[in-house]
Amino acid sequence: MIAVYAIADHPGPPLPGRVDGLRVVPAHRLAAICGDVEEREVSPNALWRHEEVVEALMEQRDLLPVRYGTRLRDEAHVVAAVAERHDALLAALDRVRGATELSLRVAAPPEAPTTGGAVQRIHEHLAAQARSSTLLDAHESADLLRAAYLVDRAGGEAFTAAVADQQRDNPELRLLCTGPWPPYSCAAA
Amino acid sequence: MTTTIAEREVALIDLVDRLLGGGVVIAGDITLAVADVDLVYVGLRALVTSVATAEEKNVLPRMGSSL
Repeated sequence: MIAVYAIADHPGPPLPGRVDGLRVVPAHRLAAICGDVEEREVSPNALWRHEEVVEALMEQRDLLPVRYGTRLRDEAHVVAAVAERHDALLAALDRVRGATELSLRVAAPPEAPTTGGAVQRIHEHLAAQARSSTLLDAHESADLLRAAYLVDRAGGEAFTAAVADQQRDNPELRLLCTGPWPPYSCAAA
Repeated sequence: MTTTIAEREVALIDLVDRLLGGGVVIAGDITLAVADVDLVYVGLRALVTSVATAEEKNVLPRMGSSL
């Protein structure tokens, strides 16, 4: 079985030397960047190891991260899977070209007054500064908002400064911004 | 993405959101069933307390990777 990390342009730059076992499986204008199948266990360390591979790849190229845990029988099946969605994947890759993803979570203390309007305004303000944005499932947590913003690679610091401004203007809320991430949420949307 | 252990702890929820809920889907097997993903989120809730503690200490993630 083969694990698929990402979809990128073909041809592309050389694979990062510091990651063992990676290989490129071309399919017309795209390539699937594959590796050995990872352990089945979902531990924080396993997730971070996967993330480090995708980030190493993204240092040198634009890419679409593939859903974690995707595995195929052999290279022929990888080619077929990419070919089946080739044009849609290429369009998605074009949308994230030159960009990274910033994550925002907004939380409030339980005793805080209703803050839905403020949260909506924060999201709209930040979305206006991003190439695109996506709302994520809060998974039954207490988070008032989980969102992802697609931001130009060079625009990350301006975006985090905008988050800091929103935090200052909304002291009753807790804004937690992480990134830059590969465009997991924005590529899937 | 982040460097220190405390930063990674804060960012873990965001990482799980991305790896298990994001990424493009192509044909093939996904190792994790939906029920498995739900279990991961249940486990993550146990981490929320320590995450809140990290935030209070101002150990917040910051821009730091080479992306």
